[in-house]
Amino acid sequence: MRDNYKGYLFILPAFLMLVLILGFPAVAAVLQSFNLMWVSKPAFTVGAYQALAQDPEFLRSLLNTVLFVTVVVSSHLAIGLGVALLLNMDIRFKWLWRVVAILPWTMPDVIGGLVWRFMFDTLPGIVNSLLLRTGLSTEPIDWLGRPDLAFAAVMLAESWRGYPYAMLILLAGLQAIPRQQYEAAELDGCSAFQKFLYVTMPNLKHMFIIALVLDTIWESRLFGMVYSMTGGGPGYSTQILTLLSYKQYFQFFNISYGAAMAVVLATVLFFISLPYLRMSMRQRI
Amino acid sequence: MSDKFIKGLSRAAAAVSFGCVLAAGVAPAAAADVTITYSDWQLAQDIWGKSLKEAFAEFEKQNPGIKVATEPVALAQRDVKFTTAIRAGAGPDVFALDMNPVKQYIAEGWVKDLTPFIEKEGGKKFLDDFYARSTGPLTEAGKTYGVPKNIVAMVLVYNEAMFKEAGIQKVPETWDDFRAAMKTLTKSTKAGGPVDQWGWTIVAAKAGFDLRFSVILRGFGGDFLTPDGKKSALDSPAAKEAFKYVVDMIQNDKTMPPGVAQVDANGARRMLANKQIAVKIGTTWSLPEVSGMNPALDGWKVLKMAHIPQKTVDGSSVRSTLYQKSLFMNPNTKNPEAAWKLIKFMTEAKQMQRWFDDNNMLSARKSVNETYKPIAESPFAVTVAKEIDRAAFLPLTPKWPEILETFRVNLQDAIAKSKSPEEALANAHNQVNAILARP
Amino acid sequence: MRKPASVWIFIYGALAVMFVYNLLPFFWMVISSFKSEMEATLFPATLLPDVFTTEAYEKMWLQEGFLLYFKNSLIVSLSTAVLSSLVGIFAGYGFSRFRFRGRLTLMTLFLATQMIPGVLLVGPYFKMLTIFNMYDTLSGLILAQTSITLPFSVWMIKGYMDTVPIEIDQAAEVDGASRLQTMFLCIVPLVLPGLVATMIFAFLLSWGDLLWALCLISDPNKQTMTLGVTQLVGQFRVFWSEIMAATVIASVIPATLYLLLQRYLVQGFTEAAVKE
Repeated sequence: MRDNYKGYLFILPAFLMLVLILGFPAVAAVLQSFNLMWVSKPAFTVGAYQALAQDPEFLRSLLNTVLFVTVVVSSHLAIGLGVALLLNMDIRFKWLWRVVAILPWTMPDVIGGLVWRFMFDTLPGIVNSLLLRTGLSTEPIDWLGRPDLAFAAVMLAESWRGYPYAMLILLAGLQAIPRQQYEAAELDGCSAFQKFLYVTMPNLKHMFIIALVLDTIWESRLFGMVYSMTGGGPGYSTQILTLLSYKQYFQFFNISYGAAMAVVLATVLFFISLPYLRMSMRQRI
Repeated sequence: MSDKFIKGLSRAAAAVSFGCVLAAGVAPAAAADVTITYSDWQLAQDIWGKSLKEAFAEFEKQNPGIKVATEPVALAQRDVKFTTAIRAGAGPDVFALDMNPVKQYIAEGWVKDLTPFIEKEGGKKFLDDFYARSTGPLTEAGKTYGVPKNIVAMVLVYNEAMFKEAGIQKVPETWDDFRAAMKTLTKSTKAGGPVDQWGWTIVAAKAGFDLRFSVILRGFGGDFLTPDGKKSALDSPAAKEAFKYVVDMIQNDKTMPPGVAQVDANGARRMLANKQIAVKIGTTWSLPEVSGMNPALDGWKVLKMAHIPQKTVDGSSVRSTLYQKSLFMNPNTKNPEAAWKLIKFMTEAKQMQRWFDDNNMLSARKSVNETYKPIAESPFAVTVAKEIDRAAFLPLTPKWPEILETFRVNLQDAIAKSKSPEEALANAHNQVNAILARP
Repeated sequence: MRKPASVWIFIYGALAVMFVYNLLPFFWMVISSFKSEMEATLFPATLLPDVFTTEAYEKMWLQEGFLLYFKNSLIVSLSTAVLSSLVGIFAGYGFSRFRFRGRLTLMTLFLATQMIPGVLLVGPYFKMLTIFNMYDTLSGLILAQTSITLPFSVWMIKGYMDTVPIEIDQAAEVDGASRLQTMFLCIVPLVLPGLVATMIFAFLLSWGDLLWALCLISDPNKQTMTLGVTQLVGQFRVFWSEIMAATVIASVIPATLYLLLQRYLVQGFTEAAVKE
């Protein structure tokens, strides 16, 4: 249409808001990480980044974050796909199952962290209570006090809370697959598994990538769940980057150090999201 | 508030239609009264909170025109909250701190210099009634930044009935005896059931860790820093022994309930109240607290106190840690005069007496401890008062909060078996030195 | 298509597993909140309350100011949802209906802002609010949370608007309607379900936020629900039964909202996701 220039006017409020409350702080954070802005003695230095490379606590947190995101996102996609397939069938009381399936996602992650923390609590928690009552264990297990178990517990909790998001995206993808394709496959004598492999999966690939990228971004930004469930402990065993950056910035006042960590995280996320952004540029979403 | 809000918003996002956000503007308070905000982690506690609120009611009656608004805060989050707010030009007018972060607050300018107010009250005369050990750490270069309120030392608080039931006649005075006694106390109360009674617990979560671990370190003759406060002393044999002692009792003896890493001061109290443990490190405040949690325990009768064990008992060396609560003024306060009135009121002899009556807490004023009869007659007060002479504050350096947290995380690593005790302690030693070396 | 009984058994079995997995934490949360303070600390834990009591709720509601937190969270989340949808309607319409230079780049830019982690922004944003005297105000928090929800809102709303045929705009133009009139009077009513989904999504995000509230709010009277609940932990004299009561209170609104509007949310998600 001839008034296409008006499009800019419609975009303008959102654009200005984002520049002010997102763009500016982001730039400021980068400057802070180089010790240039809002620090006591501004002078350009890459000292914060050099220190990062040698800080075992940071490297551990980076590793934790990668492991955490990998496991949690995989489980989200696996459980999400399973439940989406179930919900896409002709089952009775569909609405009820669907409500139950999405319920964990409505719980704020901080709250979820608290509930799971109490479930795993050594003495009055339900997990140990069930284990002792059923005789599966004779003494209470210190779930959140052992590094491996604590890490597993946090991952389990976040798998629980976050999967409905992936499930919703995948369910939407499933519902969009034309019935004719299944019918054609049936005529060719395909088994249920073959139909899944040759009809469902290829059709779902696109949504799968979307779910994968979006969920990876969500989980990398996770803060509240770990904050309330373990606070990063015991020791550094469940410390993730967001938590460490927050602590450096707001607890120990190492401003440029905390900012540098966040910049590293943001850079990693940017590269992870590149395929998604490329899809956007090609107008595929 | 409304004006500020609109101005701020229009600066930040002029182009945005913000009618909906207007709901967020809170109606401004009537400006006739001065309101002083007071924040204290003990406000959230039933017993302590109650006496604080009674004191404020009395204060408001004495000072018409001044209102006190209270802001409870969790101990573990206290310093993050205070410092974030103060750096942003906000925060409570008056707040309470224990000794841990005091030097940091002074160094960073997060507390107001109270010297001019104290001068008006008579200067030295005003301060003279407080113990020198109490006012000393609140003073920097001749300026006084806070007024002390309570001071106590840490001791063992134990359940005498459980000791007797386990056949322990004498309270252990050495760490070896203590360890043996804890083994005796750890057992199952139901024949054939899982272990459900343990000897004791330390506090390894953030809230209260400082006071509980440090006494073990000191009871072994060690400390965190060298006497000049410039280097870590965690490589000393005593420190190694104490560290290993604690880790061994958790991992090998299992005389503490599993889940030590999550136990904070309050969790330990709860376990003592539930008779899940028989001993904890505490002080005068433990009695009203623990008794209040479980009236069936009959805490005032059953709980007893003893000094912190030592490697070999001697008559003079430091074996305990001092706790002091002091009051401070926010440099951002808009009503310094009224804030000072509140600080002065709260640290008057009369309020100190109330603090003992309600909370069993000793005063930082000599006159109160020496002349107030209930204190002289309380066996708990007497035990703790004696230990004050055998106790010291934790290191008084601005870096202390970060050092403490670094140490705690390393201890957790050892408890969790991520590292061996030796490795974790060496790690803590190096990290502490690195923190101290930073400008 | 007919499936043998064994397949159905498997399907309903799997659904049952999901049912238990999804609801166990809710079960434990609700059950514990009705225990007495003492009972919630017992070892081993009781599976159902011996004594059913609402004392934890009374304490949270009356003593701990949860009514206030509830109100604050409602104000913040509603304002965030409304603000980001309102601004999002304009931007969504702009992206959906106009073909201007740099449109794709701008859209991708909007998308890319979702990748920025909150911890990167919150420090400088804290400093900005301090300078503008907006630290410790709900409006400062609302603006911050809008920065998170706005990019999503723009994209979701644009997606819904794309499903409305362009002919409607053309018809409105023939009738002499301005672009603004067309947008508000013709397009918005048609994408209402999608708009509702967008708003719920923004509301849930805002309601669940901890990081921003933690760093930008200090006055207890301005605490949001999630912040209030986390502040309970480690506070003396607050125990699991009470914390669980608080978590129930904090999850009730998002869960109810979802139950009431789940049709729109699922439909909205589906529409936005299926376009290719």
